[in-house]
Amino acid sequence: MATRADLKTPVFAAAWLLLCASVCAVLCVSPARALPPQVKVSDTSNDWGTSLTVSWDKAPTSDSLLGFDVWRIEAAEGRAPAPGSDLPSASAALERAGWQKVAAVGGDDTVFVDSGLDHAKAYAYSIIATTASGEVAIGPAAAVRPSIQVLSRNRINVLVAVILFIAVILGLVARARTGAKLFIRKIAGLEAVEEAVGRATEMGRPILYVPGLDPMDEVATVAAIDILGQVARKAAEYETRLMVPNRDPIVMAVAQQVVRESFSAAGRPHLYREGDIFYVTYSQFGFAAAVAGLMIRERPATNFFIGHFYAESLVLAETGNATGAIQIAGTDSDAQLPFFITSCDYTLIGEELYAGAVYLSRQPLLLGALKGQDYAKLVLMAAMMVGIVLSAVNPEMAAVFRGWFK
Amino acid sequence: MKRQGPIILAFIVGMLMMIQFFTPWPRLQDVYNLFLDWKQVVLGFTYILGTWSLVRYHAKKIERRQENYPYSYVALAGLVVTVGAAAIWKTASGPYPWLFDYVQVPMQSTMFSLLAFFVASASYRAFRARTVNATLLLVAGCLVMLGRVSIGPYISGTLFGHEISLVQISDWVLNVPNLAAKRGIMIGVGLGMTATAIKIVLGIEQTYLGKTD
Amino acid sequence: MAFHDRLMSIDRRIIFLAVGLAVALPLIWPLGFPVEVSKETRDFYREIEALKPGDVILLSFDYEGDVMAEVDPMAVAVMNHAFTKGLKVVSLTTYAGGTGIAERILGQAGRIYGKTYGEDYVFLGYNPDWSGTILRLGESFKATYPTDQQGRSTSGLPLMQRVETYRDIGLIVSISGSALPEYWAIWAGGRYGAKVISGSTAIQAVLIYPYYQARQILGFLGGLKGAAEYETLIAKPGMGARGMDAQSIAHGLIVLFIIVGNLGYFLARRALRHGGTKAAGA
Repeated sequence: MATRADLKTPVFAAAWLLLCASVCAVLCVSPARALPPQVKVSDTSNDWGTSLTVSWDKAPTSDSLLGFDVWRIEAAEGRAPAPGSDLPSASAALERAGWQKVAAVGGDDTVFVDSGLDHAKAYAYSIIATTASGEVAIGPAAAVRPSIQVLSRNRINVLVAVILFIAVILGLVARARTGAKLFIRKIAGLEAVEEAVGRATEMGRPILYVPGLDPMDEVATVAAIDILGQVARKAAEYETRLMVPNRDPIVMAVAQQVVRESFSAAGRPHLYREGDIFYVTYSQFGFAAAVAGLMIRERPATNFFIGHFYAESLVLAETGNATGAIQIAGTDSDAQLPFFITSCDYTLIGEELYAGAVYLSRQPLLLGALKGQDYAKLVLMAAMMVGIVLSAVNPEMAAVFRGWFK
Repeated sequence: MKRQGPIILAFIVGMLMMIQFFTPWPRLQDVYNLFLDWKQVVLGFTYILGTWSLVRYHAKKIERRQENYPYSYVALAGLVVTVGAAAIWKTASGPYPWLFDYVQVPMQSTMFSLLAFFVASASYRAFRARTVNATLLLVAGCLVMLGRVSIGPYISGTLFGHEISLVQISDWVLNVPNLAAKRGIMIGVGLGMTATAIKIVLGIEQTYLGKTD
Repeated sequence: MAFHDRLMSIDRRIIFLAVGLAVALPLIWPLGFPVEVSKETRDFYREIEALKPGDVILLSFDYEGDVMAEVDPMAVAVMNHAFTKGLKVVSLTTYAGGTGIAERILGQAGRIYGKTYGEDYVFLGYNPDWSGTILRLGESFKATYPTDQQGRSTSGLPLMQRVETYRDIGLIVSISGSALPEYWAIWAGGRYGAKVISGSTAIQAVLIYPYYQARQILGFLGGLKGAAEYETLIAKPGMGARGMDAQSIAHGLIVLFIIVGNLGYFLARRALRHGGTKAAGA
């Protein structure tokens, strides 16, 4: 027969079981406790080592979010100073602890880039969400130091392209120096320079050369001055007057130097007239009006419009056309090309302008660089064909390929 | 050294500016900002050079009584009056804004509006269907000119069973052949600019020093 | 002179007179052509519309008096849109002649909408080095412009205290008669990640398409028509809409002249084939 002691053990066991089961039931059916929202701080890549990127989760609140305040404090790396407690609001607590509010962003934002930092210091961040019923603190996140990268990772493709381009140019320059013949196709406008200068000599009228409206630091102006040197030498050989109005005083100074040297090189330094290479005005249409007036008064037989032009190009070209001059234009400004093409006898389009001085002088160094441009263009054309084919055949690979060029 | 100094300086500055584009070091950022600040200062001084050049040119014309020299008095008077007005009464009030609103702006607008007349006469003279290319240019020009104004949507027709308006044709011309051609020219110009910049930095191109050979 | 020769040799003075009348008469007697809005203008509008009150835009007046007639309506419309939405405007100009234009438009808009200089809008002024300016602004606005156009320290202006680099700017709006929007897209957009929209003259707008297609420029206004379209979207008609009548008639007239010239050309060729003399201008 079972004793009372015997009965206790099963009862106790059952009671324990029931208690455990009850606790498990409570634990299993009650909702999982949500993790508190996090603030993450990381170094902003490819910057100057002066910024950190702060991101955070939105505060789990049913109140509408009005915005987020970003707070910052300098701290030892890896530490996060705790804000004060027993204060009426989270922001007051942070302020008491020495934190500083650095930004207020909208309720939809969850990322903030803090810039202007010192890469020798570490910074901790805390976020305060402002809701309709008050403030909710998120964070803080441990202090992180902005770090300096050796190389901007998002520009490596550009670096590779530039290095390859320089290598090709230097290689071709070296090849040109050995006397190798490098082919350049005929450019009609440049072939006509000699004829145009000769025409002005026969008619006893001057040559007008306008080197564009851009300053000296623009590549088109450098190319224009290059070609001016060649034209000036021919004008000196033919003993024809050359007028060069300028919009920029620096360009004027360089043009004077180039024309003087060209006249000297042609053995006619006494024919150089400094007053013929002059500054007009910086005003675009003031310059156009002055040059148009010059064309009507002086009636040059040959007009050169070489360089970068703007809206005044049609005024110049049409006025020159009306005076009956032969006109050779060259510009990299594609908006003005149609005007020059309709009103001028010859037009150098885009990079034909950059090829101009090389074409006329045939210097090996410049020839090599020009060929380098052609090879670079071939590579780009090949890349475009590859991209087109991949887009049709394998869109995923095409997206990867496109990413190399971003 | 007179020639080599500027070339060496161009190399150093050019290489530093290129390196800072790829290397985000704070010291290089300081150098980059310094160069940009100096660029502004140098450019400001070029205005002084330009003003001096202008005054010298017109003064010589007046002194030598060259053809049309009275207009040089007008040019110099304009310079003195405008600078004087800005210096004495500042630019927010007084004669300077009046000169700007009633002299400079009308003159500039007038010169720019000449383009409307020149475009009309150039189009009439040059847009002739002499060759296939010229005909394409002419047709595209007319389509875009009409498609880009208010009457464009009202000129429409049926093409292969679809209703099509001049605006759609104009948009296609601008977004497809125009864009393709512009991109091609831009790529060529971009490569040319890069090559010229590299030539200047490496000392191959020395035209900016006034050297022709 | 044969008929076909007359067609091909119309005196340019007659052409100039006809164009002058075609532009002037519709301005005096408006025709009221409606304006259909293009996708590029809608995108331009959407970018500004997407900003929130208090956001800052950088408005660059990249033009001066010569193209004022074509692009001024765009700048005025942008200010109307911005101030209606409660945006803040930091403004500058890259042209010496743009200072008077900017001061007029900003001042006018400020008065109409009751905005305060220094808090709601700032005019930083003119800097001769436009390329250096676009790059330098990416590093520091205050270092590029230590003072505004009137000589006030920018550090002391309330609006400038929250604007340090392009990161603090919601959108760059370049109104231009030149290729400057492209440089804003390449340098401010490409190097510093700023969003750029632009308003250009019609001739320059043609060059914006490659950048627009590549999303380097997010929307643009092309010429007077673009200004008219934008005015339609913000429901504030101005000089853009008024000018479209004149532009429509003038374009039609130019097309007519081209047709007349070509008619003469083909008649001359036919006459030549039938043994006539070579026509002038053929």
